[in-house]
Amino acid sequence: MMVFILGVSLTLGGMAGILKDKPGNVRVWQVKELFQGDYQQNYRFQDYITGRFWNFVTMATGGNVENSQGYGAEGYWDSGYYGSYGDYNVWNNGWESYQDTLEDMTDGYEEMEEAWRELQENGAYEEAEEFREEMNAYLEEIENYRKEMEIYQNNRPKELTQEEKKKAAQKYHDRIKGDKNLLYTISCENQVLYANSELLSTDGKMTAPEGYNFLLYFDGERVRVLKDGKELDIYGDGYYREENTWQETGRKKDWFVPGYLNFPVDENLKKVKVFLAAAQEPVLYMEVSQKNSGSTQYDNWLYWMDYNCQANQKLLRKEAACALLGLVLLFLAFLSRKSRKEAEAKLAGIQAGIWAECKALLLLGVLFLVFLIIKSSNQGYGLWQELTEVYYYENGVEGLSVYGWEILRNTDPAAWVLLFWGICLVWNDLKYNKKLWINSLSGKLYKVFSLKGISLSLARRMACRNRGVFAGAAFYVLVLLGVAILRINGYKNNGVLTLMAFGGAVLFLLLAYFVGKKNMETARDMETISGCISEIRNGNYRDMEGDFTGHDLQNILAELEDIRHGMEKAVEEQMRSQKMKVELIANVSHDIKTPLTSIISYVQFLKQEEDLPEHVKDYVKILDEKSQRLKNMVQDVFAVSKAASGELPMHMEELDFGKLLNQTMADMEEQIENSAISFRTELPETPVMIRADGERMYRVFQNLFQNAIQYSIAGSRVYVTLQRDGIMAVASVKNASLMELNKEKDFSERFARGDQSRTDGGSGLGLSIAQSFTEACEGEFSWETDADLFVVRVSFRIAG
Amino acid sequence: MGECVLVVDDDREIVKAIGILLEGEGYQVQKAYDGLQALDILATHPVKLVLIDVMMPKLDGLSALMRIREKQNIPIIVLSAKGEDSDKVLGLSMGADDYVAKPYNPQELAARVKSHLRRYTSLGDIHTRRDASEIVNGRLLYKTDERVIYADGEAIRLTATETKIVELLMRNLGRVFPAEEIYRRVWEEESFASENTVMVHIRRIREKLELNPKEPEYIKVVWGIGYKMEKQEKCN
Repeated sequence: MMVFILGVSLTLGGMAGILKDKPGNVRVWQVKELFQGDYQQNYRFQDYITGRFWNFVTMATGGNVENSQGYGAEGYWDSGYYGSYGDYNVWNNGWESYQDTLEDMTDGYEEMEEAWRELQENGAYEEAEEFREEMNAYLEEIENYRKEMEIYQNNRPKELTQEEKKKAAQKYHDRIKGDKNLLYTISCENQVLYANSELLSTDGKMTAPEGYNFLLYFDGERVRVLKDGKELDIYGDGYYREENTWQETGRKKDWFVPGYLNFPVDENLKKVKVFLAAAQEPVLYMEVSQKNSGSTQYDNWLYWMDYNCQANQKLLRKEAACALLGLVLLFLAFLSRKSRKEAEAKLAGIQAGIWAECKALLLLGVLFLVFLIIKSSNQGYGLWQELTEVYYYENGVEGLSVYGWEILRNTDPAAWVLLFWGICLVWNDLKYNKKLWINSLSGKLYKVFSLKGISLSLARRMACRNRGVFAGAAFYVLVLLGVAILRINGYKNNGVLTLMAFGGAVLFLLLAYFVGKKNMETARDMETISGCISEIRNGNYRDMEGDFTGHDLQNILAELEDIRHGMEKAVEEQMRSQKMKVELIANVSHDIKTPLTSIISYVQFLKQEEDLPEHVKDYVKILDEKSQRLKNMVQDVFAVSKAASGELPMHMEELDFGKLLNQTMADMEEQIENSAISFRTELPETPVMIRADGERMYRVFQNLFQNAIQYSIAGSRVYVTLQRDGIMAVASVKNASLMELNKEKDFSERFARGDQSRTDGGSGLGLSIAQSFTEACEGEFSWETDADLFVVRVSFRIAG
Repeated sequence: MGECVLVVDDDREIVKAIGILLEGEGYQVQKAYDGLQALDILATHPVKLVLIDVMMPKLDGLSALMRIREKQNIPIIVLSAKGEDSDKVLGLSMGADDYVAKPYNPQELAARVKSHLRRYTSLGDIHTRRDASEIVNGRLLYKTDERVIYADGEAIRLTATETKIVELLMRNLGRVFPAEEIYRRVWEEESFASENTVMVHIRRIREKLELNPKEPEYIKVVWGIGYKMEKQEKCN
């Protein structure tokens, strides 16, 4: 793994370094040129030579070299030969633009005057007056401009005299002649004007001293160049072409010298002969200077050029070595791909443990570092400066696209290595750790607040959230306070203040929105819950709609759902068992009825037999009675179970409660008369209307009266009363019990009777039937005992 | 030789008991123990009335009932252990003439058989020549000109008051009369403690008219309201 990282880093760094440090006119793949270390191969050398050449020509023809700086692009454009009238040209251009602007301004003024006149005609005097003032201001501006122009006119450059030009040339010569790295002889009309070496003659033989391997000779027509004794092809196809930059073309630039078909020499030049020679290994030349009480260097351009070239060479070699070593390491790493994969996965594992926010911060840090490196490379005049300048001065993006690459290429390799590894790490992370959100701090926080938070109690969660809102509000207030304080203290940057206030507001609103949304959700859930509860209460077990995962009340909702299901199931179960019970009873009673039919039938036949002995007749009588009782019991059991399960069909109608009691008693008159009990009634005169099933209520009171007859003390009275009690009609049957009443006994319980022996008549279902039927008719059935007094009350809501 | 009655029940003892009962009344009894057997006997014997149980093997009573009704119009009495109203309605709607729940009262059963046979054989066409002076309700017939009530074609002896009550109820079939109104219209004086008086008379009339006075079919008490003559859907 380390091998891989090292390999990639070295390769990348080396490559980037080579790209950065290679001479501009050499391509990366031109390995020979790249590592030649010949400063004369550098494009700067060609520029230098041509620059000097033009200066020499200017000197020879009597031009102005006063402003010439030396070599380089600027140098020879300003050189006297062409520039003798250049200054004037510049001035002239300026003057013309001044005049143009002035013309435009006066034209503008005239237009304003016309507009003013129009206003005047249209009667808009006030506006015209205002406009007039504007015009006056403009007029003043024009006046100022005129003054400016006058100053400019006075500064018009003067043409140098021949004497002055000569002086400048001599000065130039003096300045550079000590630098013996470049030997030159300049002659005009075969007269040597300037030379720093006697060894060079302009005879066209191009002989130079030892150590000087670059020779250029201009014979007034063409230029010849000898390098290491070989003649260079200067003119090519004979046409001169302007190229943009060295860097762009990447190949040899055309020599900017006269003699091309499209760049012929003029009369002046024809008289000039220039011969110059450059040293193969330049040395530093110094001069004793009285002025500086020490020494000064001569121009020494070539020396420094060579020096830089050699330094660059060293660097390039190192970088190449780096790249090569890197490649070798890469090859080695390629062999151990498997371990690399493992290492990648391991790295990804480590990365997964880091919060995404931290990673983003780290990435930002890396980018910032890269930026710093970019900015600090080429100290002083950094890449950043260059980029911005290119952006501003070279038509923005277009300029960037042209120069940007060049500029980026000059960046320190470290930046690229760093950037590369940054991207690699991000790529690795993205490749292995797909769940970016889950691993992020915000994701974790969100989880804590939404899912993990579920384990917290609802109150805790709500409190947390409210605290969050409060914190947000506090933060916002602090921001606003900060803004206010900054403002009071005179902090003027409105942009930052606005941004702070606005950002704070947005954050706070977002927080409030999300908390509000959550609360809204909870409120809605509460509504659902309350609705669900009331529905369950009403016996409606509908499913709850919607998905509640992640909600605050998720657990409660789930529990409620469980309760609902449980209830539904229990009710269903109960219904089913009830139904089964009724069915069972129905089946059983049906099964009992069939043999009972036979019993009753044959008992009947026995009864009809006349010549039976007396005691047998007695037996038959008992059989008859008991079979009849059995029949009644079977029917009662069936009726009770049906009524209790609510399956008894009901025919509800309005009827007179009092009349019902009367009719029932009338119906049972015989029975009452045959008993030792008498009935006392206390019924209202007016009808008491209730809603009930008459047939069933008849059964109710029949049973009650029967009970009363059966279980009352002989000679006692049964009191039957009907009273209105508010909205209720209450009928009561009171009788004095023959037997001692057990207070705790539930008399309406099925088969419950005053005594436990069950030998006398009656199914023991009387009260049970009465209660079931009353309740089936939506009435209330109650009884109480007071000593031996047994009181049954049947109440109904008064209808109508 | 009496009419031929077919008794169908899978319980042989019941069939035997009914056989003894009906033969005692002078009927000729054919016995079957399932629906298919019943159909066979019906095809070969001149059966005048069928007593049939509902729950039987092979072919149940109601299915047999429908099969019989496809060919014959003889009276059919369904005997069933299912005594619910809904069962009765079902049986009657399937074409039965009567529905008797088990355990039956032997006298009542005999009376019903007799009633149905009389109406079928001797009074079978009574409904067709009904005139304005006659009011028919099931097995009851009231001749207004004679002021006599007939049950299954037999004149019933009633007292004057009872006749008045029956006339009132017969003329207003299905209408419910409170005891006070009956008293006013029959005794033609204001009522006082009328309930008991009316009830006593009603009970007596029932004993004379109804096949089973304890479970009256014609004169009914509408509890809490009054009394009425039930209009018989069947045979009208």
